[in-house]
Amino acid sequence: MSEASLPATSSVSLPAFRFSVAETAKHAVLIVGSLIVLLPFYVMLSYSFKSPAEIMQNTGGFFGTQELFRDDYCIKLGRDVADCMVTPFIYNYTTAFEKAPLVRYLFNGVVVTASIFFIQVLVALPCAYALAKLRFWGREAVFGLVLFCLLIPVHAIALPLYIMLAKLGLTNTYAALVIPWTISVFGIFLMRQFFMTVPDDLIDAARMDGMSEFSIIWNVMLPTAVPALLAFAIFSVVAHWNDYFWPRIVVTGDRSLFTPPLGLREFKGDADGDNFGPMMATATIIVAPLIVAFMIAQRRFIEGITLSGMK
Amino acid sequence: MQTAKAHWWFVGPALFLMVVILLMPIAIAGALSFTSYSLGNPGAEFVGLENYEKIFTRSTYEKMFGATFRYVFVVVPLSVGLGLGAALLINSTRRFGDLYKTIYFLPVMAALIAMAIVWEFAFHPTIGIVNSTLERGCGSFLESWSWFAHGCERGFPLWLTDRDYAIWTVAFIGVWQGFGFNMVLYLAGLTSVPRELYHAAEMDGAETAWDRFRLVTWPMLGPTTVFVVTISFIRSFQVFDTVEAFYPQGGGPSKSVYVMMFAIYEKAIQQNLMGIGAAITVVFLAFVMFLTLMQRWIVERRVHYT
Amino acid sequence: MTAISLSAIEKSFGTTSVLNGINLDIADGEFLTLVGPSGCGKSTLLRILAGLEAPSSGEVVIGGQTVNAVRPARRNLAMVFQSYALYPHLTVLQNMMTPLKLRDLSLTGRLPLLGPVFARGQYRAIVEQVRETAQILKIGHLLDRKPGQLSGGQRQRAALGRAMVRKPVAFLMDEPLSNLDAALRIHMRSELAELHRSLKTTFVYVTHDQAEALTMSDRMAVMMDGEILQLGAPHTVYNDPQDIRVAEFVGAPRINLLPGSLDNNGYARCGEIVLSRAATQGVVGSVSIGLRPEHLSLCEKGTPEALSGQVVHKENLGADIYLHVSVLNGSQRLVVRVSPHEGQGASFGQTVHVIREHGRALVFGKDGKRLDIRTAGTGNVAEVA
Repeated sequence: MSEASLPATSSVSLPAFRFSVAETAKHAVLIVGSLIVLLPFYVMLSYSFKSPAEIMQNTGGFFGTQELFRDDYCIKLGRDVADCMVTPFIYNYTTAFEKAPLVRYLFNGVVVTASIFFIQVLVALPCAYALAKLRFWGREAVFGLVLFCLLIPVHAIALPLYIMLAKLGLTNTYAALVIPWTISVFGIFLMRQFFMTVPDDLIDAARMDGMSEFSIIWNVMLPTAVPALLAFAIFSVVAHWNDYFWPRIVVTGDRSLFTPPLGLREFKGDADGDNFGPMMATATIIVAPLIVAFMIAQRRFIEGITLSGMK
Repeated sequence: MQTAKAHWWFVGPALFLMVVILLMPIAIAGALSFTSYSLGNPGAEFVGLENYEKIFTRSTYEKMFGATFRYVFVVVPLSVGLGLGAALLINSTRRFGDLYKTIYFLPVMAALIAMAIVWEFAFHPTIGIVNSTLERGCGSFLESWSWFAHGCERGFPLWLTDRDYAIWTVAFIGVWQGFGFNMVLYLAGLTSVPRELYHAAEMDGAETAWDRFRLVTWPMLGPTTVFVVTISFIRSFQVFDTVEAFYPQGGGPSKSVYVMMFAIYEKAIQQNLMGIGAAITVVFLAFVMFLTLMQRWIVERRVHYT
Repeated sequence: MTAISLSAIEKSFGTTSVLNGINLDIADGEFLTLVGPSGCGKSTLLRILAGLEAPSSGEVVIGGQTVNAVRPARRNLAMVFQSYALYPHLTVLQNMMTPLKLRDLSLTGRLPLLGPVFARGQYRAIVEQVRETAQILKIGHLLDRKPGQLSGGQRQRAALGRAMVRKPVAFLMDEPLSNLDAALRIHMRSELAELHRSLKTTFVYVTHDQAEALTMSDRMAVMMDGEILQLGAPHTVYNDPQDIRVAEFVGAPRINLLPGSLDNNGYARCGEIVLSRAATQGVVGSVSIGLRPEHLSLCEKGTPEALSGQVVHKENLGADIYLHVSVLNGSQRLVVRVSPHEGQGASFGQTVHVIREHGRALVFGKDGKRLDIRTAGTGNVAEVA
């Protein structure tokens, strides 16, 4: 019996009051919840291992039987039947990469999310520093504007943004994918709140040492802000890796610019009955990076994603 | 001082981007909402309030509001309630709390578009795992539930392609995706409730879990709840990924899932009717801003204790 | 009869033992203080008494009934917490009503909005009771405020009020004054003592401040390392400490301890100085000789049995001056209390002579236990020898 860590809601630790029935019931509820939550993940992984027949007939358990099956597309190309027998697992994952330029999509995803984060920090950090630590005319007005802009969800103003970019001839470019997200008012707000807690003495000491304001930001403030920045990075990367709405609007047709969610959507659009396996394999590949990263650094991720709760 | 003007270099870029990327679009949307602008046309015709009139009179938009509000008013209470429930349960169990937390948070991390596609499979009327699982229950005691018996006889619902079920199924996926986020916010809120308050409640005679919840937990979670509700509203108002994935054209069986973000996308991007799209955008923004301002007002008025 | 008795209480968290077999009887209506340095287990003991913590073994008896299996809510004890633990969302009135509502009202009566309608009579009685208590504590005008709008002292009173309305068997107080500023803390000491006198209810009071224990309690229990070292009236504990740790803990400034030894006749000596009383137990070896600052005074050069040394520090408290004198070739430091008049002349670096008041020295053996010493002749030393 562990007395050391008491849950906060049941304040009393007397063993006499504990009912294992209650504890069991709680776990039962939580487990049922877990099963429902995990269901689509199970389906996704399982289908990505199975052959079309197994998917259609719902057989083969989780991993499928991995029996060889005939790849019709290969037959169509006029190859020998014996050469066209494939293992479902290998077939699904190789098809995912062959049928669509998945590597290219993933690359685009990395480029877009990385540049968004990089520019966000480049813009937000100096502004946050100035708002937190410099006194100048108009500071309150600028901060008021930041607070107002926090009200605006960028997705909601997608249409006028799209028109502006179209007028500039920028649709179907990387720029279009990145530009609307270059300004993160939330990032400014967050960093400003963080910088407010940095003692003025530290900055004054840096000034006494002869640093310019510019180098104070990058050499003094940036290192102290690493934890907050890391959380913000996770927040930003998760949001933009998974974003579907905005890429859907500004990238039309040009597959070489597709981000992973767009690529998956396109795959689905093309899918005929046989392609469930490869499609699930694609979905798995797209979802996996964040899930794996999340599993490794759970606490940081939860911190980052719930950052918006700090307001 | 050598850096007297430094601040403008620091604030300038952010200020410029805020104005150009966030404020100007609102002005543009506002202006275009009074026109019949289309991309590619040289000019635009001023049509006054015609677009707004359409939004508030035509049956298509009635369906849009209906679908949006149905979605929002299912997803918000359920995802907040389940988030709170899960947080309380996890917080009160002594084992495996972290495991449940991880599992419930997974949907928040996964790309919704990918999971939407998976759900579409799961809800497939014939080969989907949902209906095939339900079918296995046929012949058991579950048949005493008339809905279930009906399903066994005539086939279970088509879910996503069923006019009566589509919006609720999409809403279910919204709840599935969002409640883990709320749970984590509530868990954070719970850790900041002072332990001594529970002890005080116990000494004051609060014997049941319900008494403790009423007296301490729920009031102390007030600020968290206001925030969770607001953010759930804003997120669910913006639902798009699932709808577009399931119904690339038209917004579901007889437009029953025609939510606002999809309407903006369809009208403006697919049909190049920028005027009406802008008008929906303006209405949408009004909703969202109103909600956020409400939240700030409530937080300042009611739930600040110190 | 609502005496409280704790017997053979043990408590350990994991492998660390916090309380080792505590036995404590608290009489009805007594003001008992548990005092000790932080980490001595005093708060844990209080929480075990309250029922917020379960003892690893041992028995808690209240009014003749073993209450180990009775949950805190049913023990009819009231507690004042260090942080006051007022419900921040409720007004002072509602805070003070809470224990009465939970005890007296049925589930329907406690409903948020309808409750006051269903149980109107009971509500009125409860409000009346709260108002009376508030009058006693002089917080009648604060009843509609929320804790966030109160000062520290007012919160303290509100917390006391919440404990008092219920007329409990005993009040448990866990360092209730430690969050107040110094002046208010001293004021509250006397107020709490007065409150105790008028309520005539048992107070069990936990503090790390020996001054609070000395000024307020009927009896005090000095705790250290999970044990009660000494239990007794404040003057007994102060003047007659049975353990060197008690002597050191109680009293400010701290008691002076000089290293010494017992000679064959049982006389304790420190350098040239030999105490006039001899130990009765017939032990030999090194001892510590304790002298409180107020039992030392300055004297003329050449006075027999005086210690000489240099003033190394002078603490002027107005009414008293404490001189820190380095004696025995600088190896020991004595703190001497002198009157302002006497101390005026003493300055840093000056050599002074210090004499003890006879019959006041306390002698502690190697194990820290107090040794009984008597003036030779009147005792029975001779027989032992």
